[in-house]
Amino acid sequence: MTRDEIKDLILEIIEDIDEDAEFDELDHDAPLRDQLDLDSMDFLDIVMELRKRYKLQIPEEEYPELATLTSCVNYLEPKLKDV
Amino acid sequence: MADYQLVIIGGGLSGLAAGIRAARFGLSTLILEQHSLPGGLNSYYHRQGHLLETGLHAMTNFAPVRDKRAPLNRLFRQLKLSRKRFVTREQFGSQIIFPQAALDFGNDPDVLIESVRKAFPGYEKAFIRLVREMEEFDPFSPTPWRSACAFLHERLDCPLLEKMLLLPLMVYGNAEERDMDLAQFAIMFRALFLEGFFRPEKTIREFLNLLLDQYRAFGGELRFRTPVDNITVKDGRAVGVRLKDGTHISADQVVSTVGLPATVRLAAWSADPARYVGQMSFMETISLLPEAAARRLSQDRTILFYAMDENWEYGRPDGLIDPSWGVVCFPENFHGIARPELCQLRVTNAASYERWHRVAHTDYSQAKEDCVEQSRQAVSKIVGNYGGDIVYQDSFTPLTIERYTAKDGGAVYGSPTKIRDGRTPFDNLYIAGTDQGFLGIVGSMLSGVTIVNQHILR
Repeated sequence: MTRDEIKDLILEIIEDIDEDAEFDELDHDAPLRDQLDLDSMDFLDIVMELRKRYKLQIPEEEYPELATLTSCVNYLEPKLKDV
Repeated sequence: MADYQLVIIGGGLSGLAAGIRAARFGLSTLILEQHSLPGGLNSYYHRQGHLLETGLHAMTNFAPVRDKRAPLNRLFRQLKLSRKRFVTREQFGSQIIFPQAALDFGNDPDVLIESVRKAFPGYEKAFIRLVREMEEFDPFSPTPWRSACAFLHERLDCPLLEKMLLLPLMVYGNAEERDMDLAQFAIMFRALFLEGFFRPEKTIREFLNLLLDQYRAFGGELRFRTPVDNITVKDGRAVGVRLKDGTHISADQVVSTVGLPATVRLAAWSADPARYVGQMSFMETISLLPEAAARRLSQDRTILFYAMDENWEYGRPDGLIDPSWGVVCFPENFHGIARPELCQLRVTNAASYERWHRVAHTDYSQAKEDCVEQSRQAVSKIVGNYGGDIVYQDSFTPLTIERYTAKDGGAVYGSPTKIRDGRTPFDNLYIAGTDQGFLGIVGSMLSGVTIVNQHILR
């Protein structure tokens, strides 16, 4: 997957979690949590969705890597390069 | 390989919510329910062409769609249900009635603040500080038991106001007699006074069907009329469940929602189940009245919490029931609910399981009738007489509750001992639901969600 595809994937997963998510003014380098008003339960769903779709195991101590959209892409790029 | 990755005992709200979470992320999941209907404590039954709901007076924790972090909306996201399409009907308004004073509250906390200002001049500031403190309070951080009664007395120093605030919070979710854990108090304070009451647009049946459909859409399986005889255990782990009919079903993990005493028994763990049996049970009577009569009695109020004695204590009565305090609910009094020709009046009074248990089989019907009459006479003093208006009436006792819900002692709020982290002596057996500590419909569902998130999906 390219960086853009990963970005779209994350946004698609978030949209799936929260039917009201608004991405128009999303700052890619600021925490997703605050901007989208999500909580840790919603974050678990991003992790679970990645596991379900790509058999990707993300250990709990690495959850902070998913804080912003850019950090998600950086973190997932090597893991999803063959997808 | 085990037959299922997850077996859930109990198809009540916590079991269904747990099942949806697990099935959503691809775990092969089986829910076992002893009865022919889902819902557990919050189910329904039919009498003479009427659908009557058990448990549900109202759902607590009302939140508008835009408030994303509110428990109700978090729950819907976790279950992947559309909150926007879930039509909520908010209460008209409720009341706490003591002989010396009455307090109004609604889904706007200012209604209660204003009412305290009027009924308890001089205590308004202390009460507003309490409201702010409850808004900030974190009830989920693990802390030792702390007395809610002592806390409230420190903050308000007004015994009557303290009792009045405690009545609805205790009767809607306290498993202990006389006092309450502060964390539980804070959860209930928010759920009732800050968020408030609503109903689903239709009945609990449609709500349960929504959950069942979602569970099945994710591939989850559910068997009705399938009581569990025991949880099979090997080398400190649960390996499956044996059904009453002798069938064995193996499982990687087991979640039990049948309460602590019943789970102790099912897994034969070395503890005395009797220690964990809750003492608070209730008798409830549903009366159907002509619409005009219900309107006259309710005066546009939704739920009334009454006590006829200012020294009211929350506890098990000495007699079969205690009609001197209780809850009166008018389930049609929510904005946007169509009023049928016959409306309901539901009365809930504390009842003693032990006393009901000792009633001879042949005397049971008469005892029930006597209690219904005592309760009606008491409630008539609160809302006006309705003896002549009753078209149909049905009631259930702690024995009925025990039979249909697997809650020992008919204890609707379960054991006074709560297992917050859901862990048991067995690695892969977890407790969810009432005895995990979250109460009410939204609470019990969040309990199922939380236990699966913390232990099953990790």
